[in-house]
Amino acid sequence: MREKEKERKEEISKMDVVTQMQRQLIQYTSSLFQEGFLDDQFNQLQQLQDESNPEFVVEIVTLFFEDAERLLNELSKSLQVEQESIDFRKVDAQVHQLKGSSSSIGAQRVQRVCIAFRNFCEQQNVEGCLKSLQEIKQEYSLVKTKLETLFKMEKQLFAARGSISR
Amino acid sequence: MAEDRYETCSEGSACSQMGSNNKCKHVFDRLCGFAPSWNWNTTTTTTLPPPPSGRRIFHRDVEKEAFQYASSSHCLSSYYSVFVVRLAIMVMLAILIGLLTILTWHFTKIYTTKSLKTLAYDLRYELLQRPILRMWNILNSTAEITTAQVKLSQYVIRRYSNPVNQAEQVELYEAMRAITWALFSSKKALNSITINYKNGFVQAFHRDLKDNNTSYIYSDLSNYSMVANEMNSFSAHQAWNDKAIHGNKSAIWYREPLDPVTGDKIGKAMKIAPEDLINIAGLSQVPDGVASWHVAVSKFTDSPLLSAALPVWDSSNKSIMAVVGVTTALYSVGQLMKELVEMHSGHMYLTSQEGYLLATSTNAPLLTNSTKHPTLKMAVDCENEVIKLGAEWLQRAYGNHSPPSHEVHVENAKLGHQQYYIDSFFLNLKRLPLVGVIIIPRKYIMGQVDERAFKTLVILISASLCILVIGCVCILILTNGVSKEMKLRAALISQLEARRKAEASSNYKSQFLANMSHELRTPMAAVIGLLDILISDDCLTNEQYSTVTQIRKCSTALLRLLNNILDLSKVESGKLVLEDAEFDLGRELEGLVDMFSVQCINHNVETVLDLSDEMPKVVRGDSARVVQIFTNLINNSIKFTPSGHIILRGWCEYPNSCNGSPIFPLEQKKSRCIQKAREKQNANNEKRTTKRDNKVILWFEVDDTGCGIDPSKWDSVFESFEQADPSTTRLHGGTGLGLCIVRNLVNKMGGDIKVVKKEGQGTLMRLCLVLSTPTDVTEQHYALDFTDNSLVVLLALHGNMSRLITSKWLQKNGVCTIEASEWNGLTQVLRELFHARSPVHNNNNFDAHYPVTEGLKSKLLSIQDMKKPVFVIVVDIGLLDLSTDIWKEQLNFLHRYFGRARFVWMLNHDTSNNIKMEIRRKGNVLMVNKPLYKAKMVHILEAVIKERNLELQKRNNMIGPRTTTKEGELHEFLEIDSTHFDAGSSDDSDTSETVGSNPVSVDGDKQIELVARSPASSTYKINNCLVGLTNEHLEDTNNARKEESCQSSPSSSKHAIEESDPKSLSTKEPSQGGDSECGETHRAAGPNNNVVNGKNSLEGLRILLAEDTPVLQRVATIMLEKMGASVVAVGDGQQAVDALHCKLGVDDCRRDSLQKERNMRSQTEILTSPYDLILMDCQMPKMDGYEATKAIRKSEVGTGLHIPIVALTAHAMSCDEAKCLEVGMDAYLTKPIDFKQMVSTILSLTKRKTS
Repeated sequence: MREKEKERKEEISKMDVVTQMQRQLIQYTSSLFQEGFLDDQFNQLQQLQDESNPEFVVEIVTLFFEDAERLLNELSKSLQVEQESIDFRKVDAQVHQLKGSSSSIGAQRVQRVCIAFRNFCEQQNVEGCLKSLQEIKQEYSLVKTKLETLFKMEKQLFAARGSISR
Repeated sequence: MAEDRYETCSEGSACSQMGSNNKCKHVFDRLCGFAPSWNWNTTTTTTLPPPPSGRRIFHRDVEKEAFQYASSSHCLSSYYSVFVVRLAIMVMLAILIGLLTILTWHFTKIYTTKSLKTLAYDLRYELLQRPILRMWNILNSTAEITTAQVKLSQYVIRRYSNPVNQAEQVELYEAMRAITWALFSSKKALNSITINYKNGFVQAFHRDLKDNNTSYIYSDLSNYSMVANEMNSFSAHQAWNDKAIHGNKSAIWYREPLDPVTGDKIGKAMKIAPEDLINIAGLSQVPDGVASWHVAVSKFTDSPLLSAALPVWDSSNKSIMAVVGVTTALYSVGQLMKELVEMHSGHMYLTSQEGYLLATSTNAPLLTNSTKHPTLKMAVDCENEVIKLGAEWLQRAYGNHSPPSHEVHVENAKLGHQQYYIDSFFLNLKRLPLVGVIIIPRKYIMGQVDERAFKTLVILISASLCILVIGCVCILILTNGVSKEMKLRAALISQLEARRKAEASSNYKSQFLANMSHELRTPMAAVIGLLDILISDDCLTNEQYSTVTQIRKCSTALLRLLNNILDLSKVESGKLVLEDAEFDLGRELEGLVDMFSVQCINHNVETVLDLSDEMPKVVRGDSARVVQIFTNLINNSIKFTPSGHIILRGWCEYPNSCNGSPIFPLEQKKSRCIQKAREKQNANNEKRTTKRDNKVILWFEVDDTGCGIDPSKWDSVFESFEQADPSTTRLHGGTGLGLCIVRNLVNKMGGDIKVVKKEGQGTLMRLCLVLSTPTDVTEQHYALDFTDNSLVVLLALHGNMSRLITSKWLQKNGVCTIEASEWNGLTQVLRELFHARSPVHNNNNFDAHYPVTEGLKSKLLSIQDMKKPVFVIVVDIGLLDLSTDIWKEQLNFLHRYFGRARFVWMLNHDTSNNIKMEIRRKGNVLMVNKPLYKAKMVHILEAVIKERNLELQKRNNMIGPRTTTKEGELHEFLEIDSTHFDAGSSDDSDTSETVGSNPVSVDGDKQIELVARSPASSTYKINNCLVGLTNEHLEDTNNARKEESCQSSPSSSKHAIEESDPKSLSTKEPSQGGDSECGETHRAAGPNNNVVNGKNSLEGLRILLAEDTPVLQRVATIMLEKMGASVVAVGDGQQAVDALHCKLGVDDCRRDSLQKERNMRSQTEILTSPYDLILMDCQMPKMDGYEATKAIRKSEVGTGLHIPIVALTAHAMSCDEAKCLEVGMDAYLTKPIDFKQMVSTILSLTKRKTS
């Protein structure tokens, strides 16, 4: 009996932990939305996730990370100062891609910087481009950490839930 | 007046000081501004104190303050300008009148004064002349008397010259006395006559004028008797000097009073002192022997006397014998003067040259009464003030240097306090020059004039003041009108301004509304899309499901509202551009009616389409908007019609034909239309070919049997947010935008809509649209004539209106119709028809059982007359009793007539499958969905006729499989329904939503149609090979995107297999049942499929996704796969093109191999492209979306293929859209992808293709 009660208590405490975590997760997510890191598109992504692809969001976001890192690398390469002439068209295309992918996961801030970046590209403003690149990098790393934290929390929650259900 | 104004001003300033009255401030300011000129103006008429400087400073402050209000003083400034103008006019008037007055007065006065002056001068002159004349007369008479006396004395003395003795002497004296007396008495005016002989004897007559005593004075005769003689011997001069006379004082003088008339002595002579009485003119007075004059005084009279002395010469003229002196009193002159002055006024006086007064017009004494001796007075010393002052004035003015002629005329001598005229005249007598002075007070002459002038002035001034006042009042009144008008204008201007502002603000409002609704629409679409996803989720509980469904309904309602607002604002802002494309009006409307009939079934409302035959089949215009108009109208009607019918009537009118009046009652009109149509058939054709621009006026009526609209609201229902009865919102919902949009659209199309009075219950909306008909299209009327085919149509339909209209139309086109509205009627008619024809049955017998109407009878008779009539029996499935199993009996009953008549079944949308199967089993193949309208009827009849012809052929030739051709026909004809659905629901969100929320789904229907479209076997095969090929292809296209593609491909291919399996099964099943049933089964399955926008709305579609961004690619893939589509994703445009080509190539190969098996398959089916649709990102590496599309389109040339390509772009600009469409894309989606929008776009495109 006692053991059972203990178990129950444990379970209850676990439940508490879960609810707390859930709350934390929700708070965190909403803070991400409020701070403008993410927008509705991310919601839409989350809605697209179902039993058939349970890791959909993570997958997409990971794709995004890969893509973005590749693009950022390319960008920094093509914007190297030593380079004589900068192929702005190429840069523009790359930024456009980045913009597209960031907008489709809802990384709003990255997207915004991309827009500014493209403007600089149009003006062929090297300094502005470099500045934007820095900004994008910064924003990207920010959103990356944020999202990673989010996924981590989700994973934890999932794990916690799993432990309960067990 | 001016003062008053000023007062108000200062009051005004006081007010403003209180800070309460802005207006006053302004008034004051204005006045301040005008103060200088105004002052100047006013000083000409009235003296005005200059405004104190302190106040001025204060004004400045006020001005500063008022400056803040300057912007709002627009209205006031006009008021002030009026005020200033008024003031200016008044001042001008005042000046004018003042000048006129003064001038008039001045000239009048000048002229009067001038004429008066001359007159006065004359008068004065005359006045003075008269006493002078008198004086002159006196002088003259005195001179005459003296001369006469002298002559007489000479004579007498000469006669008695050298008197020898005393006696002679005495005699001489006596004679002299007598003569003298005679002369003396003859002149009463004489004062005295004296004769002084040279011997010293004196004789004198004296008249005392005071007491009228006359006396004779003489000296003692004895003393002189001799001495004189002796003395004569001496020198005359010595003897005659005064000393001698005075030395004669010792002589005794006597005075003897005489009778004044007779001269007799009346008293004793009295001794008097010598020279006591009178002046005796002596020798001294005639020193040179000439007459002399002088003025003397006597103590007896108080007036001066004029005395003349003349010597009497002896005969030899050598010595003076005697001296005669005559004195005359000047009293009479004074008298005359007095009289004159009495008559006139003023004063006169006469002086000697030395200034001694001789006569005055006053009673003032002329002599100084000194004790010793009276002496003459100087004029200056006169007792009369005026004379004294006058004399003094004269003396002062001229002193002793009097002007040469002594003539002075002075007009304005101020004597004392009065003004006087002073005139003096000089009478130049020898030795006695006289000066006459007349002093007349100015008042006497000019007094009247001055008074008059003053009075005139007063009158003039008062008159001018009156005129001024009246003028001012007039001006006030006049300018009041003007100012009122100005005020009104100002008000009007401000009103206009306000109106403009209000309009602008309302514009802003609607702009805002439009913007807002546009902005809201996107999230709404997202909400609905997400709800769809949620609904399609299986894990929802029932309650959740219902809640979400509810939310979805609300959201769609909201979206509809937003769309309405957008439409409205679009139309209102004039930005709505109507499409101008050809479309089949009839088809659109039929589709609409089909759609609504589905909706109406639950309402027990019949939807009837009634288009006249002459309606042009194809018109140019905006089909979507036309459909929207009718959708809204019919929606509206359905909302308010609980039971009855809704009729959509249409007829047309060609503006170039004058006889198209739409006001006919319907029946009349219809018949006329028919006639017209018949008559004009040829004429119209000609016209149409000749005229390029064929405008046609299409009239429509939407007639319902609903609750109707109050006539007072007939106009207002078309206003936005206006509903005939506010309570309807509660009952029926809605916002009142629908009709407004309708009206706007109708107006935009050059038409008009209004509510028309209608007999009976309900509403009748009539509208006309002006559309053009294409010129190159040949006339496509339903110019059918079924007369020759001897058709008999038995309409057994529930709906009264549709039955009536159809039968009318049929009869018109030469088809005999019989109507039945219920099962019993149908059976009766059937019996009547067929049993009467069969010889077994008796007509009369039948009559006994069932009463047959006269009309029916006559019809039956006419049918009997027909040769080989073909019977078409249109049976409403609703006539059968479906609730129980009786319908089978009924069906069997009808089957008895199967051979003799063609049955056409009108199916409901919800007719259950087994009924259909049963019917089909009975061999009835003609089945159409409700409602029945013209086009369907035509098709039915055509099918029937064709069938009959075939049968005839068969009967004749006995060859040719009956079924194949017939089925082909049937397919074709039955498909008409579905296309209508597409057309009806494709464009209007309102409609589609309404229908969508209905349990009976049109979309679902469509969906099934779609599936059923492609023959089962081929679909299956293609699907299978697609799976295979996807993998193949992906392996072939070897690039960076490989992993992702591989990731996605298994799922997609799996999906494809999953999806294709049930489909293939479903398609296979009916194929076993026979080809003929294939289409029908799917149709039947349609209504049962309730999932509208569910999971599988894209089921079976193969979609090629060209997107370089992996993230987007993944997202889109998942989205599409969720909807049941199979997706192949490629990384760039080149790959997309390759994929397509490869597929085609493979297809071609397959086609080659398959060609032998499916030998006569139609070309199009084989050439069906591997993908149903391509989603193409615009910006991609290697080859962008535009290029890829161009390449694809290029490759399509000649194959007859057209893969729908949907652009995906991140630029939400219209130019991008244009560019997309230009390169050959079919639609356009913006990133990030909206789920719902994507699905609907894809659906519309794939459907269009398949249809």
